[in-house]
Formats: sequence, C-alpha cells, structure tokens
Amino acid sequence: GDAMSFLKRFPPPAEGVRHQQPDTEAVLAGRSLGSGTLYIAESRLTWLENSGVGFSLDYPTISLHAISRDVSAYPWEHLYVMVNAKFEEEETKEAPVAEGEEEEEDSDDDAEPISEFRFVPSDKSALEAMFSAMCECQALHPDPDDEDSDNDYEGEEYDVEAHELEQGDIPSFYTYEEGLSHLTAEGQATLERLEGMLAQSVSSQYNMAGVRTEDSIREFEDGMEVDIAPVVAGQFEDAEVDH
Amino acid sequence: MEISHSVKERTIAENSLVILLQGLYGQVTTVDLRDESTATGRVTNVDAFMNVRLAEVTFTDRQGTVSQLAELFVTGRSVRYVHIPDEVDIRATIEQQLQLIHRIRYFGGRDKGRKEFPRAKQK
Repeated sequence: GDAMSFLKRFPPPAEGVRHQQPDTEAVLAGRSLGSGTLYIAESRLTWLENSGVGFSLDYPTISLHAISRDVSAYPWEHLYVMVNAKFEEEETKEAPVAEGEEEEEDSDDDAEPISEFRFVPSDKSALEAMFSAMCECQALHPDPDDEDSDNDYEGEEYDVEAHELEQGDIPSFYTYEEGLSHLTAEGQATLERLEGMLAQSVSSQYNMAGVRTEDSIREFEDGMEVDIAPVVAGQFEDAEVDH
Repeated sequence: MEISHSVKERTIAENSLVILLQGLYGQVTTVDLRDESTATGRVTNVDAFMNVRLAEVTFTDRQGTVSQLAELFVTGRSVRYVHIPDEVDIRATIEQQLQLIHRIRYFGGRDKGRKEFPRAKQK
C-alpha cells in the first residue's frame, strides 16, 4: 500500500505506559495504516505497526476521544480520536507529530484543522480499558493556555482551624532558617542550652543517656552540671530542690 | 459522581463554575465543541479542568453527520458551551456540590478536618 509520509520508525515508549493494546489497526480518515500496537502512555499516544513504523500524538493536540459501537457509522467497534491538526499523506511535510498549529487558510475552510483516527482492536472487550487509560492520560495534560481560570493554588496548605482562629498561616513545622527567625529571646536561650547539652553528650564517650559514669562526673566537676534527661520519668521528683 | 480525591482539584472546583458542571452528574446534557460539533449524552464525570465525560452520546460532527458513541471524553479546551438542562436548579446544584466538598474537608469535626486551602493564593 501507499507509504504515509508521517510514519516513522522509533522505539515504543519505555515508561508511563498505562495501557498497551496489540493487534490494533490504525485508520486515518478512512485509510488503514496497517495492524500494530497502540501504546497509551502518560507522555503521548503512540501507535507502531508490526513492522516498527508508526506515529505519536501529543495529548494537548487531542480534542476528544470516544468508544464507538455504532456499526452503522463505522463497521467495527473502535476507539475514535479527534486530533487538532492535519495529517496529509500525500504532502511531503516535515515531522508531522502534531503541534496543533493551524494550516494555511483555504478560502473555503476557515475551521480548525482536524484529523480523525480510529484504533480498531481485534479484542473489542479492551475498548473500555483503552478509553479509560486515555481519559487518565488526558487529565495529566490540562490546558496551559487557559486564561479564564485562576488556578494558582500552589503553596503551603494551612491549618483550617488556625485560620479560623485568625492566627493566619501556621505551618506545622519550620525549616531551620525559618525557625531561627521566629524564636523569641527566651527561645533562643533555650536553643543554645539544648545545643550545648547535645554537643557535650556527643563528644563524651562515657556519657550514656541518663547515666553518669565516674569518668563523666569528673569531667563535669569544673563546669556547670548538665542534667541529661532522667531515664525514669519522675525519677527526681522527690529530690530536694534547694542546692 | 465522586468528589475528586485531589485537594487542588476540589479547590479549583469550589472557586469556579466547574462546580456547577460537576453537579450535572447523571443528567443528559448537550456540549457544544469549539469546532462546531455537538455531543448530547449523560454526564458521567467533569473534572477541575472541565474535561467532560459523557455516556450514550449522540454526536453531530461539524458537517452535520450524526453518530452514536458509547462513551465520549471531551477535553476542557475543546468545550465551547455546556447547555444546562432547564430543569436544573443552578443555585441549589452549586450549594449541594459545595456541601459535598465541605463534608470531606471538615470530616471529623471542624477542627479535625483535612488541611486544605479554601482560597486562592493572593497574587
């Protein structure tokens, strides 16, 4: 049969393949392109004939897709895909992986360019899965040119309760730099004391958590005594407070 | 139709008229496409990007040829117009959809709900 100039040889998509359907005929504007495998991947829709040549369609160029079981309209049940681009088999055009750009205007055709693909699987029961996989992949490619909607909802989630108490945005935790800037003077002092304790416990080999060995007591004789957290909760509760 | 599991999509819906379209779940509706074709069918899903999924569709292409489609997915960018059925109470539909979203957001009580951001970030 005639070679379609837009068919190229390339490997099938390696990742993000949501559905793969072998033994699927591809038809463009009523002309069969042969039998091959349809790959419904997150990045693009790809069909490769068994010989290894095929084409890809980018989701932003796909206006709609559908399951057709109406044999009076087309004799076999298939996945119908309408693309917002022109695929001409006769013209020698370069890389026709559709970019959605309009053709030069004909005097009698000021409408958008459209190409109709049909993917006819030998296994009709696969049509639902093929359709759903395409829906999922299409949803991954929302229209970036959508000027009407203000979908700028990026940013930190905030606690609804805190907001309602009118405390404003209260993140549940701070990064180090953010946190430092939020410390009060008292908080700063506490941080320094705790960091000091941590530094001493790390550097001292003899100081197991909560337990003082003879060596560690000697080490602290000259300086301020540092209390590591008690091993047993309430261990020091009955200790005399006056030093 | 299930409320979206995505916090972002719920927020988009809540702040746009997509929420009205989502309330049309199960209703027979006509969608006009940008290329002048039309599709009439039962709404089975509308997402935050206004992608519309219809079942049992009568599709009229831009040349006027009519065919039936078992299921149809129209991308939001291809939608020109959605005909709201006359019998739909628009305000009640929007309020009902908002309630569904708030039920998810405040599940477990107002102070125990999922952390969400009901308002768009100020630009």
